Amino acid sequence: MGNVNRVDKTLKLNEMIYYVRKDAKLRDRWQSDLKSLCDEFGLTRTEYDALESRNPAILMDIGVHQYLVPHIMRLFYGTSGMTNSHPAMQAYLKAFPEESERALKGTSWQHIVNDDG
Amino acid sequence: MAKIVAAMAMTHSPGLAGWFESAPAEEQQMALDAFSDMRAHLREREVDVIILIGNDHLLNWPLNNTPNYTVGIDDEHVGPADWYDSWLQQEEKFSVPGHSALARFIVNESARLGVAMSSKRDMQFDDSVTVPTLHLNPDGEYRTIPINLNCTVPPVPDQVESYQFGITLRKILENYPGDERIALVGTGGLSHEPGGPRYFFIDEEFDRQYLALLENGDHAQILREITMERMEEAGSGGTGELIAWFIVMATTKGVANVLGYAPSYSWRSGTGFVIWPEIAASTGSGQAQSSMEKSDSM
Repeated sequence: MGNVNRVDKTLKLNEMIYYVRKDAKLRDRWQSDLKSLCDEFGLTRTEYDALESRNPAILMDIGVHQYLVPHIMRLFYGTSGMTNSHPAMQAYLKAFPEESERALKGTSWQHIVNDDG
Repeated sequence: MAKIVAAMAMTHSPGLAGWFESAPAEEQQMALDAFSDMRAHLREREVDVIILIGNDHLLNWPLNNTPNYTVGIDDEHVGPADWYDSWLQQEEKFSVPGHSALARFIVNESARLGVAMSSKRDMQFDDSVTVPTLHLNPDGEYRTIPINLNCTVPPVPDQVESYQFGITLRKILENYPGDERIALVGTGGLSHEPGGPRYFFIDEEFDRQYLALLENGDHAQILREITMERMEEAGSGGTGELIAWFIVMATTKGVANVLGYAPSYSWRSGTGFVIWPEIAASTGSGQAQSSMEKSDSM
């Protein structure tokens, strides 16, 4: 397996995202008081700091499952209109500029790398 | 004896619902034409029940417990789950009838045949069920049974295990004391890496190789060449959704008809659609079974 093998299946942050996605009240608390929500789920300082970084690379480095990282970005930046120009996707451009440029070079989306990546 | 009468597979990327119009017009038209062909095939084959096979995406099970196969056993399925409404641009929930009796039979018969399948009431749905339902079954015409897979939490079933599971699924359906006409629809793929460092990456070369192999119709060759390792190279945690296609392929014979393909950077996924026109005879084994037994390497 590739990048998904980096997951820490015991990480509390992974558990927290699983439940936050499914519960509107938890999603409200994410917006209103993220720190207390993280404390309630027993996150470490490292996990909390990784969350606050809003950086997909840092989140995956501590073991967040790659599939949950976009959900974290959507919780921060909103869920609708998830084109490549969405702020959640811009976070990926910034975190992985080389991979993103290689992927989008010569495509109709090349301009987002040049503009924001 | 329930009977598999149709076998198809399709990409389920959220862009096919949530930001469809962001893709070039020719990609949109390709997808719309493919959906039209698939709906026509369902009608022509007089399908009663669609079994949708796709990635659970960590939606119904948390990371500390990810069964490989989960059957939604309710008599009604409603979605998408709230978190996905705006992501998939859905102002209203879809509602399709389920088939609880058959779904529960699948769970229990699989145990008797030595395969562990979990079951779920109140199953939640994201793109893997919502996208095919919106495009293939928008009016809830067909009863639906979702079978969600673990495609993304290691260890995941590889291509050979998935193919063998497909053979078992066919046996299960043949053992059912009813005369339902079943369509198997595999959803997911083609190449993409959702949430990974290569989120924008599409491996067009891999996609075209895979689709060409499907068109050639040699299942043993596909099982040899399209390994989980190769799928991971073509996009970790996403391309491996093609195990759903392997499950469906195991119930078929020969070639697949490729309805369309596009390396869609707008939808962030290799995007493809196929129909296998011929269903395998109910011999109790898949087309590639004998060659699989000869090779320890698979």
